[in-house]
Amino acid sequence: MPLLTVADLTKDFGGLRAVSRLSFDAEPGEILGLIGPNGAGKTTVFNLVTGFLRPTAGRILLAGRSVVGLRPHAITRRGIARTFQVVKPFPRLSVRENVTLAAFSHEAARGRAERLAAQVLERVGLQDKLDSRAADLTLGEQKRLEIARALATDPRLLLLDEPMGGLNPREVNAACALVEQIRADGVSVILVEHVMKAIMRISNRIVVIHHGEKIADGPPERVVNDPGVIAAYLGTRVV
Amino acid sequence: MALRARPGPVDTFVQSVVSGVLTGSLYAMIGVGLTVVFGVMRIINLAHGELVMLGMYGAFWAHALWKLDPFVSIALWVPLMFGGGMLVYRFLLRPIIPGGELNTLLYTAGFSLLIANLALFAWTGDYRTIKLPYAITPLRPFGIAVPIPLAIAFALAIVITAALYLFLSRTDPGRAIRATSQNPEAAALMGIDVERISMLTFGLGSALAGAAGVLLAPSLYLYPTVGEILIAKCFVIVVLGGLGSVSGAIAGGVLLGLVESLGAVYVSVAYKDTIGFIMFLLVLLFRPSGLFGVGKS
Amino acid sequence: MTRGSAGAAVLVLVLVPPLLTSNPFLLHLAITVLLWTLLGAAWNLLGGFAGQVSFGHSTFFGVGAYTTMILYLKGGLAPWYGMVLGGMVAVLVSLPIGLICFRLRGPYFSLSTLAVAEIVRLVALNWEGLTNGPVGLLITTLPRVVWGGWTLNWESKVPFYYMIAILALASMLATYRLSRARLGAYLLAIREDEDAAESVGIDTVRAKVLTLALSAFFTGLGGGFYGLYFRYVDPDAVFPIALSVEMVFIAVVGGLATVIGPVIGAVFLTTIGEMFRERFLVGHLIFYGLFMMLVIRYLPEGIWGGTRRAWAKRP
Repeated sequence: MPLLTVADLTKDFGGLRAVSRLSFDAEPGEILGLIGPNGAGKTTVFNLVTGFLRPTAGRILLAGRSVVGLRPHAITRRGIARTFQVVKPFPRLSVRENVTLAAFSHEAARGRAERLAAQVLERVGLQDKLDSRAADLTLGEQKRLEIARALATDPRLLLLDEPMGGLNPREVNAACALVEQIRADGVSVILVEHVMKAIMRISNRIVVIHHGEKIADGPPERVVNDPGVIAAYLGTRVV
Repeated sequence: MALRARPGPVDTFVQSVVSGVLTGSLYAMIGVGLTVVFGVMRIINLAHGELVMLGMYGAFWAHALWKLDPFVSIALWVPLMFGGGMLVYRFLLRPIIPGGELNTLLYTAGFSLLIANLALFAWTGDYRTIKLPYAITPLRPFGIAVPIPLAIAFALAIVITAALYLFLSRTDPGRAIRATSQNPEAAALMGIDVERISMLTFGLGSALAGAAGVLLAPSLYLYPTVGEILIAKCFVIVVLGGLGSVSGAIAGGVLLGLVESLGAVYVSVAYKDTIGFIMFLLVLLFRPSGLFGVGKS
Repeated sequence: MTRGSAGAAVLVLVLVPPLLTSNPFLLHLAITVLLWTLLGAAWNLLGGFAGQVSFGHSTFFGVGAYTTMILYLKGGLAPWYGMVLGGMVAVLVSLPIGLICFRLRGPYFSLSTLAVAEIVRLVALNWEGLTNGPVGLLITTLPRVVWGGWTLNWESKVPFYYMIAILALASMLATYRLSRARLGAYLLAIREDEDAAESVGIDTVRAKVLTLALSAFFTGLGGGFYGLYFRYVDPDAVFPIALSVEMVFIAVVGGLATVIGPVIGAVFLTTIGEMFRERFLVGHLIFYGLFMMLVIRYLPEGIWGGTRRAWAKRP
């Protein structure tokens, strides 16, 4: 059974159809890339899956159970965690507190939640910044902090919204390694990303959406040569 | 008075529509001032009601001290409020805005309390009225009673609002205000000096509030904390019309005027203000862009 | 200083004043300061920790005051029990208000609380059967209290002083406990970023509604005390916008999300305000407005928050 099933997902904003009868699956242990031109509806899909938006129509199942209509915190507790395209740390709280708050979702005792947070922060390489204010981190660090925060909720599926946007090449490499490590630790990942090199390298499979509709679904090398995909990117070569 | 014919149901209705529109036009002016400021700066100015109050006292003192007709004194107070508003923006508000919208809200709450209480201190809490000789007998076109001061205020409100409309649509600074209101970043990229436009807009909003105060003064009791009630009405108006929308605020003002005067007749005098607040809550919850769908949510 | 000795110091500080003076003005001032401490602390639970700026807390104050008065005058229930019930009724009232207003964020939330408070005030003004309308409710005599042959003197201010001192301490203790609890941490997360808080599994609506209820409870207690102390309430006294605004000012000027902040805010603003009122009768809120503007501009963490930071940074 797929870990996540999205079926006929549709979202209208007023008269505008942002997502149109979109269907795809994410398998356990997979890194799934979700790409498409600007305004294709990728972030909207994330907001629908995580409960920040309510679908106009369609189904979203996590391991066979519907999550449609649940509020975001309940979906997080079911096992879907996310990061935001524009980072949303808790700016005036410490790095440790940022992640401890997430650990509280499955660990009520503060002491244990803090230890868990420290472990996760070590995994993303922020162990030296525990007591810094989140607002004082660099953008790259804030993106890692968000990943740590999402991981601390103990998810089965992690949705990363442009985790590499705005990072330098060295940071992009580190981020790729981190995402692969997360998969190795047993968490499935759906990745929205514009850094094509990265997404081609680490994704097992790629879904391409354009104007809210799916136009391709398959392994990276096949998707990249798909004539429909190339047309969608206005004739520019993807890689 | 047994001999006098009781007003028929149609007369009552027409009468309340007329007085609703008259009062509503003045509400609209207050609302427009608040909404242009919000549009450009994203500031909800809680001191807006106090600016109206200052206009009212301006008219009162001009009449009491210099025997100046309140409607003439508008020529004095509007430029003063405009300049004062620009100074307030430049020296008081501008340093606060980067601190976020809640800080700005609290700051204007402080400013509002400061002005109202300074006025209370200086002018006492006594209720005052402006007694005008021409206010005694109302006009009676078609048998509908229209108080002359309210009629003059209505006419001036239309003139001022129309002038504002022309300013916003026909002049360069007016267009710059509208552009900034729609998209501050894009406006800045296109070479609009957003700081200067913000200052101008705050001056404009203050001038509108002051003008509305002057126009209202002959028709209302005035006292230093009257701004509290006016600002509450003002929020109702701009939310009904959609925050940031000038035409929405005009429609919202007239609508609130109508709701109040019809509500007083057909629902109850006691609860007429409640209707406005309930509409306000419903719109905030279900149509945050305003009844006419033009504001920013 | 250990926590125990700090607690003892606070206790002495609170218990001693009536032994030192019987000057009614000073005791009245102390009672006023403590009442405002209670209200500032109550508002701070929601406004300081969760960053939800309510301009409608007079609703809970008024509901508490009227519940106490009505239960005493119409049901004969002693007002100190009435106060607690007043707090509970305020909690009940807060639930629908929270569920409605918390659908909105930031300044929109603030405006909606203002609208609700105005609606409640107008209802109190016009529901004459229950509230006696604009005429208000008056307590002529308080129930006789006898302890082992000693009769409590209601004409003295001392019993009121101890009553409000206990309530104010309770609100501070609640603030302290909240700052240590998981709920307190959730509220800070909500204050920082509501979407992010939801995304890490925090039920933001539940957290906010719970906190509003707690805040309403203490505010309602304050209202009940007000009725008991002044023996008179009317809608303009207990439901005005100005009252809500004053609570905000005390908490912000003192220092948001701190235990001590509301005390500092209350001592500072109320003392200046009352002294001004004693001399000039009107306009005492000039200083509230002025200090709010100064604090937001120069000391955004409030007097206490700013002092604490400066103390921590000392060489």
